[in-house]
Amino acid sequence: MADTNSDSHHNLRRLAFKIVKATIKGAIFYGIYFFLSGFLTPITELLPGFMQMIETFVIIYIVLMIIGELTSGTIYQHFFNAAKALFVISYLLLSLRGGVFGMTFENVSLMIDLRLFLMIATLLGLVGLAKTVLQAINYMNEKACPTNT
Amino acid sequence: MRISIRMIGIATTVFWVFLIAFAVSAVYSVKDVQFDFGEPQSYLDSDNNMVFSLPVVIFNRGYYNIGFFNVTTEISDEVGGVISQGTTFIPVIRKGEETTILHNITIDVTDLIGENQNFLFNDTDLRMYGAVGMRLAEMIPVQASMNFSMPWGAPLYGFALGTPQYSPFNATHSRVSVPINFENHAFFDLAGDIQLSMFNSADQLIGGGQTAVAAYQNSPYSGIVDIYVLTTGVTASGHFDVSFSSPLFNCGPWVISYG
Repeated sequence: MADTNSDSHHNLRRLAFKIVKATIKGAIFYGIYFFLSGFLTPITELLPGFMQMIETFVIIYIVLMIIGELTSGTIYQHFFNAAKALFVISYLLLSLRGGVFGMTFENVSLMIDLRLFLMIATLLGLVGLAKTVLQAINYMNEKACPTNT
Repeated sequence: MRISIRMIGIATTVFWVFLIAFAVSAVYSVKDVQFDFGEPQSYLDSDNNMVFSLPVVIFNRGYYNIGFFNVTTEISDEVGGVISQGTTFIPVIRKGEETTILHNITIDVTDLIGENQNFLFNDTDLRMYGAVGMRLAEMIPVQASMNFSMPWGAPLYGFALGTPQYSPFNATHSRVSVPINFENHAFFDLAGDIQLSMFNSADQLIGGGQTAVAAYQNSPYSGIVDIYVLTTGVTASGHFDVSFSSPLFNCGPWVISYG
């Protein structure tokens, strides 16, 4: 009975720790976004939908990050981390429309070519995905052979 | 394996931080780049070509150099035929530097009028395409382009010959005075010669004459060309072949009937 109470207490502490860690990570990430968003003001004047696009990205990324953190220590963490990596890649590809932005204001057409940026970001996203896969393999390996750490 | 995974994670994070910092600072520094387009000038060069000159001042106060800065303009007629194009290119505008360029576009008036005499007699609009391109931080290509129209003033707008006035000159010849009227709507002064060849109703050349013409920009011109013809060759109707020659352009002959 005492062991069950102790386990339950321990689990509760672990969950509380995960929640605090996830909250701190989310807050830090949002803080960085909040700081950097001020620098993007010149482009938001030109592209009204740009800030909305980044905000959506940040919200989904933070949600996935928090869920990944809450499920840490389980196989689901790796699922959510993989989902996060895939989300970064797909969101970049879809929102940047292949990397070439075109817009028209009255008589003036503006074109911004972000293909180089997109390529580097996609490669980094793929490295992140590969890391997640390696983490999942490592996790399964440790589960199968607990002594092999 | 954990260490290698952690190293991959650290390396990825460092690259992400670097990439985001670079992208954000590159975008942010755009607001510190100032472009001033001066008043366009037009003049005639030594080869008597029309030159449009656009001064552009670029003051790069941003964090990065600007690379591959180029200004391109293209002038075309109403149906899209390219009349002239010009490009000005600067490889690098360093940060903190002020650079002034003079973007020129040259039009050969002889070619322009030779291809389409509409430009000689009728005011019209020329289509103009302008594009400014650059690479922010020498890496991110950006281009702004626009289409607009530019009025073209005809140098011989409303060119017309008045009714020929006949008067006897001697026993065999008559003097024919032909009034000439037009308005110079062009942005340049016109100076040249108008030659008239007079043909009778049997299409025989019966005489010719010329007069010097000087018409300031945006002003009307009226003059008279005197032609001495054989009195026996004169008929009530016929036609004139009109030519115009000047240092800037030559054109004609075009046919105007009389009688």
